[in-house]
Amino acid sequence: MQRSMRLVSFGLAVGLATTLAACSESGSSGSSASGAAASTGDIKIGVVLDITGAGASLGVPERQTIEMLADQVNAAGGVNGRKVKLYIEDNQSTEDGAAKATTKLLTTEKVDILLGASRTGPSLAMRPIAEKAEKPMVSLAANAKIVDGSKWVFKTAQNDKVVLEKMVDDMKAKGITQVAVARDASGFGEGIPEMLAEVGKAAGITVVKVEKFAPDATDFTSQMTNLRASNPQAVLIWGIPPAAGLAQKAYKQLGLNVPVYQSHGIGNQAFLDTAGDTADGLRAPLGRMLVASQLKDDDPQKPVVTKFIADFKAKYNANPSTFAGHAYDGFMIAIEALKKAGTDSAKLRDALEAITKWPGVSGVFSMTPTDHSGLTKDALVMVTVENKAWKVAG
Amino acid sequence: MIDLLQLVFAGLAQGAVYGLVALGFVAIFSVREIVNLVQGEYAALAGLTAISAVGAGLPLLVAILVAIPVTIGIAVLLERLTIAPVKKMTPLTSIILTLGVSTAVKALMLLIWGPEAKGLPTFPGSDIVLGGVSIRSQELWVLGVAAVVAYGVIWFYEHTVRGKSLRACAEQPVAARLVGISPRTATVVAFAVAGLVGGVAGVVGSPIYLSSWTSGLTLGLKGFVAATLGGLTSLRVAMLGGLGLGILENLVAGYLSSGYRDAVAFVVLVLVLLFKPHGLAGKSSGVRV
Amino acid sequence: MSPMIRRQIPFVALAIFLVVFALGAPQNVVDIGVYALIYGLAAIGLSLLMGLAGQVSLGHAAFIAVGAYTQALLVSKANLPFIAAAPISVIASMIVALIVGLPLLRLRGHFLALATLGLGIIIGVVVTESEALGSTSGLYGLPSLSFGGRTYDTAQEYFLLLTPVIVIGMWLAVNLVKSRTGRALSAVNDSEVAAECLGVDTFALRLRVFVLSAGYAGLAGVFYAHWLTIVNPSVTHFEVSVKILLMVVLGGLGTVWGALIGAVAVQALDEGLRALLPVIIPGAKGEVQLIGFGVILVLVIILMPGGLAQLWSRVRARFSKPDSTKHGVHEHEISQEEQRELLDKSLGILARTDHEPVGTSILKIEGLTKRYGGVTALDNLSLDITAGEIVALIGPNGAGKTTAFNMITGVLPPTEGSVKLHGKEVAGQLPHVAANLGATRTFQNLQTFKSTTVLGNVKVARHLRSKAGLLRGMVMADRAEERHIETTAQAAVDAMALTALADHPIADLAFGKQRQVEVARALALEPSLLLLDEPMAGLSGAERDSLSWLLRKVKATGVTIVLVEHDVAAVMALADRVAVLDDGKLISLGTPAEVTNDPVVIAAYLGTDDEAEATVEKAAAAHAADSTPEGGTR
Repeated sequence: MQRSMRLVSFGLAVGLATTLAACSESGSSGSSASGAAASTGDIKIGVVLDITGAGASLGVPERQTIEMLADQVNAAGGVNGRKVKLYIEDNQSTEDGAAKATTKLLTTEKVDILLGASRTGPSLAMRPIAEKAEKPMVSLAANAKIVDGSKWVFKTAQNDKVVLEKMVDDMKAKGITQVAVARDASGFGEGIPEMLAEVGKAAGITVVKVEKFAPDATDFTSQMTNLRASNPQAVLIWGIPPAAGLAQKAYKQLGLNVPVYQSHGIGNQAFLDTAGDTADGLRAPLGRMLVASQLKDDDPQKPVVTKFIADFKAKYNANPSTFAGHAYDGFMIAIEALKKAGTDSAKLRDALEAITKWPGVSGVFSMTPTDHSGLTKDALVMVTVENKAWKVAG
Repeated sequence: MIDLLQLVFAGLAQGAVYGLVALGFVAIFSVREIVNLVQGEYAALAGLTAISAVGAGLPLLVAILVAIPVTIGIAVLLERLTIAPVKKMTPLTSIILTLGVSTAVKALMLLIWGPEAKGLPTFPGSDIVLGGVSIRSQELWVLGVAAVVAYGVIWFYEHTVRGKSLRACAEQPVAARLVGISPRTATVVAFAVAGLVGGVAGVVGSPIYLSSWTSGLTLGLKGFVAATLGGLTSLRVAMLGGLGLGILENLVAGYLSSGYRDAVAFVVLVLVLLFKPHGLAGKSSGVRV
Repeated sequence: MSPMIRRQIPFVALAIFLVVFALGAPQNVVDIGVYALIYGLAAIGLSLLMGLAGQVSLGHAAFIAVGAYTQALLVSKANLPFIAAAPISVIASMIVALIVGLPLLRLRGHFLALATLGLGIIIGVVVTESEALGSTSGLYGLPSLSFGGRTYDTAQEYFLLLTPVIVIGMWLAVNLVKSRTGRALSAVNDSEVAAECLGVDTFALRLRVFVLSAGYAGLAGVFYAHWLTIVNPSVTHFEVSVKILLMVVLGGLGTVWGALIGAVAVQALDEGLRALLPVIIPGAKGEVQLIGFGVILVLVIILMPGGLAQLWSRVRARFSKPDSTKHGVHEHEISQEEQRELLDKSLGILARTDHEPVGTSILKIEGLTKRYGGVTALDNLSLDITAGEIVALIGPNGAGKTTAFNMITGVLPPTEGSVKLHGKEVAGQLPHVAANLGATRTFQNLQTFKSTTVLGNVKVARHLRSKAGLLRGMVMADRAEERHIETTAQAAVDAMALTALADHPIADLAFGKQRQVEVARALALEPSLLLLDEPMAGLSGAERDSLSWLLRKVKATGVTIVLVEHDVAAVMALADRVAVLDDGKLISLGTPAEVTNDPVVIAAYLGTDDEAEATVEKAAAAHAADSTPEGGTR
């Protein structure tokens, strides 16, 4: 008897839960459908960045950039007379944080467009939410997976493939065919050796050895010892500082002297500080921002880059990083599309996809239905280091 | 062959740092039976403090001489604040407690020094190449300093009356009191020794392995594994265990994949716990209770 | 209202609360709630491990990860439906726990904690290195969860989906704590040696709880994967394990309700601190909320080891009426006649009928020796004890009596020698092996289960005489057996005239009474061999008489009794045979009359040590007087 009572009471509880859940269904689905954007009032831009946690060195300058630009846009009268309002959320460099923040921006704040996240993982976590809500989203991270086959998601950082294409051109010019690779073991370096082999196939380039290092690795003896043993004609170190700088240092210390290529991930002062004078002579395809003063006057990016650096310096008393550049591109592309299409989600998306020959900080963007990234290898220049300073390579 | 020697030598230097951290675990465990999860943080703290001191314009040597006493002071202070007030210390509470302290210290370091890893300037000396094996001067410093400090700590614990009475505290508190050392003093001394070895590991390792707010966790864990090799009570085996672990890690990274480097220590840990829970040199009686 | 129904009220209330919360709270609060429930599931599991098994896992994130990755693989690569994949994922977590727990749970203390910490890191390395698991980007693009014709892709929907899961999870966990397994493990935490001597196989039970707790974490992983639609190595991170540990510690070590409340508190704290700290400390970036986590862990352990649960019971104690019966324990006197009638009845309930016939050898000790370094505590003891006799072991302090007991019952491994119970070797085995063969004991220095009542203590002894396993206990399919345990345990309590004290916390009892509880506890096991270590110490003269009378009665039911006792007069009156130990050696063995007249004994013990003996008794009596109910918390 007791047992049956127990089961009844428990069944009641579960039953109650499911009934109430069923009742709520109509209500909740109704409200999400009524997300039609108002065509007047403030334009709401939702921003999800890695402001704290592992991605903080990316997210913080990105936030600074977006805040600065929003002020500039509003000071100039807004977008077609409508003010821009930012809703910045910190995803704490985690995937669940990004998902949580995106849901909040879409359901509570009802933003018109999403920017972010700073890195690949959190961006991938945001993507399905944006796709489902049918809201345009512009990621600031690099990995091609973020926009592969996407309808609503765009990104502004150049694809790895573009970087490798630029690099392969340089190797080909120098007659290098045997390359050993030490790559970052995290998402940044994933798939790089395979892609290099694929891109370099036509130029006869083969990858003779692959080593990995953790982004927080400090001792590279084992990797460099193995690279040394493979007798390459050139070494590609694909990572971000400080690891990329430490690897560069270990490379020299172990007495390797074949040319070193580095990725576009090294474009900041931290790299030069860690690598010290061992960085001299390396070659890397980087964005034009780092060598802005050395650009030719007819370069379409020169005015954009020069103004951005000047503005950023004036406001924050520091040089903007590459990541700040990605944020500039993401935000300004969004503004460009908003100017043309307003806040209607579908029209806004179409306007983003229609961006052509738009000069930004990282390159000249041309989006297409199949390319939601918009940059080619022309966005990059080969850069070398001389006396601890960046220099356009000859 | 040269590659092998290269890997072994780099492993020795890395292992010496693990060994020093391991000494800290043993120094405390043999007196209080506490696995002090803060141990790795001492190294990070000393490294970062020295970096700041150098940044403030102090000469390297002075910076180190500031950083190590500061670390010892903090180690003792944290013991007084967190370990001392607990009346009934069980393995469970000691783990949670020291984990809490370590977490708080870590976050505090993040707050003060920021997320980026930094390194001390390399100690004086120049790199050499010996029969094809590149040896960094800092690696020689690490090995030399570790040897001196480890010898000192072992001598103190095993050959001085004060040191021996520390251990007696764990085994026979009453007898220890008769010798004139209270459990309280013994605990403070043990934490000071732990702070010292942790601090030394932090400063000599910093030029190669860098210091950051997160470096304490892995360093601490590897040091703990080395200490387990000595059953958490043998200083010598702990130090040697650290060296062995460093070499093994480098060999695995070199010949298998560097991705597995961090797993090596824990595979060793599980194997040791499985087959030799009382350490490689330990005896097997008294498992129970 | 029956207590069984009353036990369900909190769960109904929880279900109603969760549903109302999901429907009423703002969307982003519900969103945080979803995470609280997901991590809460893992915390419930960890609280079982910490509360019942007395062990801690510092790598619980590893089990969440195994569940999450398995689920992601099965759903996105093998296209299995949610309902089919989820059990497989949970089992995968449990298998990993089994592999780790099997070797490591035999070790005491820190080892499991540190090995699980290592496991967390190993699992992290494995998922990062595995191409099939998507390396560092992990597995992403899981479809939104839908079954039963509904899609659960908003926070509210997901919360409602999690509600029955968490309610059932809680219900199962709470039942487990109150079941036979929970009772046994809780006893282990109070006194491992006593629990094992009552037949509790600590290792086997701990292993089961550990595996179960990994199952809870695996389930959390399943829901984590479907909610985020992405699983990557960050789920294995140490911070996740710390967070779950904090939930359990903050909620109150080992209380299941505390774990859930802790989960909500920590998740709210996490959000709060992340927002608050950068405001208080300008320029703070990164995981600075960890400061708060660390400080709270430390403060809880130092100031409030029982966590929020302790706080709650303190508050409740303050507002509830003081319990007048709690202090000044004086049972009403019942006459000796009544008492003896009660005993007969109780023995009727308890007495087994399958004892071996009187005279057959049941305990055979040969060459039993224990050395500590250079000291020989027991030297080459050989003794053959037959069914149905009472044998007393006497000798001065340090003669090796308790050492012999410890080796017979498996508490200590012998240096040499053999102990055969019913022909089976038990020397060097764990105590539960001897208990399984029908041998149990009491202790010279009390080993009661301090966190429960008199009846609760005795119920543990029914462990071997009942069968309900983990699962039966969790789904409450053990009610009939539980009622039987209640009856038989009550009979043992009655037998020792402790009826009036049955529901008192044992810690409130005087020393002598606690000793009687130990005897009652041993009787409740229905042993064939009963080993009593100084059962008379701390007892009044009348109590001694009544214990002697009881032991004779017990003997009459066919039970063999071996006792160590200082009260020589009582021993001589009670025992069939007496063995005299001196300095680790057996110096005399025979009937009380033979021993009393043995010149060796007179020289070594009886003759010269009379005074010492008197002193011992005086001390024991004084001790008993000290242990008044108020001061009797030792």
